[in-house]
Amino acid sequence: MTRRVCVVGVGWSDGPVTPDMTGLMLEAQAFQRAVADAGLTKADVEGLASAGYGGMHEVMLAEYLGIAPQWLESTSCGGSSFELHAMHAWRAIEAGDVDTVAIVYGNNQLSASGRTLGTGGGGGRGVLPHPMGYELPTGLTLVGAYAMAAQRHMYEYGTTPEQLASIAVQIREHAVRNPNAMYRDPITVDDVLESKLVADPLHKLDCCVISDGGCCIVLTTEERARELPHRPVYVRGAAAAMTHHSVHSMPDLTRSAGAVCGPKAFAQAGITAADVDTFQMYDSFTYTVLVCLEDLGFAPKGEGGAFAADGNLRLDGALPTNTDGGGLSATHPGMRGLFLLCEATRQLRGEAGDAQVPDAEIAVAHGSGGWLSTMGTVVLGTEPLR
Amino acid sequence: MSAPGTGSPWDVMPKHLGPWPSPEDREFWEGAGRGELRIQRCGACRLHQHYARLLCSHCGSLDVDWVTASGEGTVHSFTVVRQHGVPPFPDCVPFVVALVELSERGARVLAAMPTVSPDAVAIGMPVRATFRGAHDPQLGFVDFDAARPDART
Repeated sequence: MTRRVCVVGVGWSDGPVTPDMTGLMLEAQAFQRAVADAGLTKADVEGLASAGYGGMHEVMLAEYLGIAPQWLESTSCGGSSFELHAMHAWRAIEAGDVDTVAIVYGNNQLSASGRTLGTGGGGGRGVLPHPMGYELPTGLTLVGAYAMAAQRHMYEYGTTPEQLASIAVQIREHAVRNPNAMYRDPITVDDVLESKLVADPLHKLDCCVISDGGCCIVLTTEERARELPHRPVYVRGAAAAMTHHSVHSMPDLTRSAGAVCGPKAFAQAGITAADVDTFQMYDSFTYTVLVCLEDLGFAPKGEGGAFAADGNLRLDGALPTNTDGGGLSATHPGMRGLFLLCEATRQLRGEAGDAQVPDAEIAVAHGSGGWLSTMGTVVLGTEPLR
Repeated sequence: MSAPGTGSPWDVMPKHLGPWPSPEDREFWEGAGRGELRIQRCGACRLHQHYARLLCSHCGSLDVDWVTASGEGTVHSFTVVRQHGVPPFPDCVPFVVALVELSERGARVLAAMPTVSPDAVAIGMPVRATFRGAHDPQLGFVDFDAARPDART
């Protein structure tokens, strides 16, 4: 019989602004809280997954934590890395290679590096890694790469800046309910459109925040989960895909890898888009959300803007999205993929407080990494796949 | 090639922004230094590619050779960069960066368009390659300009 796999622990570090903490401290704090939440000790953690900005990150972290994992995972494909970690941990636990895995991320991006990641900072001053040597001398920024994709979507489908802005507005409504969110004042579509244009058509409020912070989830077998304090959250499906590295090689600026991994994960999980009760979507930029609403099948291609502007992302909408306030308003410490899995778990446990989606049974976490380059979809449920 | 001494911030690219040619793509950067847009063409599927690779990114054939592109293309998409944190770009904003679909089938080039006004750029606009010197006089950068000078503004 197949071993079923569950999320049994979830933890967040302090945040979103922690000038006195290093990245490792944030990771260790989140790890400690998630393991305690699971009712386990660190000696129970046999597998560790993490991604940072340098090699051997998970090894350094294991040493810091004082654990000796027998299963290591360090897929590092940008912000979606953690959806791939969950996918790989799911299969490894299912296969019996390992019982209990922690996935950890933390970074003091804001306090260590300031706010320039999206506008030219964050790169080294050495020889440019291939193929960025073709991109950085043009002056294209990270924001600009997403902006270029959004511009093409507007051209092909008539998507408007107002529709993009409506995504930021609705996600901010959720941040209002999150005491740990970076920005908590409600905003309007006009506020977004009147904020500074960073790279046309993206305004400042179309872009995610830069914060500090970390989080962690613990996965184990259903059998083990029965002995633990929380209602288990089942992994029902997980898939990954990529289309390109740098945006100049994106085959279709209006179609992401989510069109491949989204439907694949849904099929594994035995669901359709209509079954999703809450969507935790990597909102690096408003356009990232818009294109993935279409690619995962929540809206037909070209109609993601109208779907969003109709209010469907609200708590009382058809698809409550980024119920913690997302990267756009709550927290984005360099990479956000793991926060999606944490919030999905919180919703399915019924622990989301003011932001709870009533009777949530199916949650989807969809990560995006790089320049719309790599994507991973994880379907979680309160019940296992039958 | 833009005339030296014009005072454009685009003419003082710091060395760390390259070019740093590799054995694989030296031909591209030296071509730009001579005023030629060099790309690769596949002998098997006849499609083109940019940047240079050992194999054809379309069909996988090893039969790839350098050709000189016409330099003509159209804007597939673009953005106007209005905020940049790294020199010399803060002195360049606002400026247009475009993804250009070359008339040679299969190849796209990402390039700055320093001579085209942010108000004038549009998807589908005909453009042509221009060339700008680099810290090494043998090498250059490829920019794009409006195909018709009256379309710059």
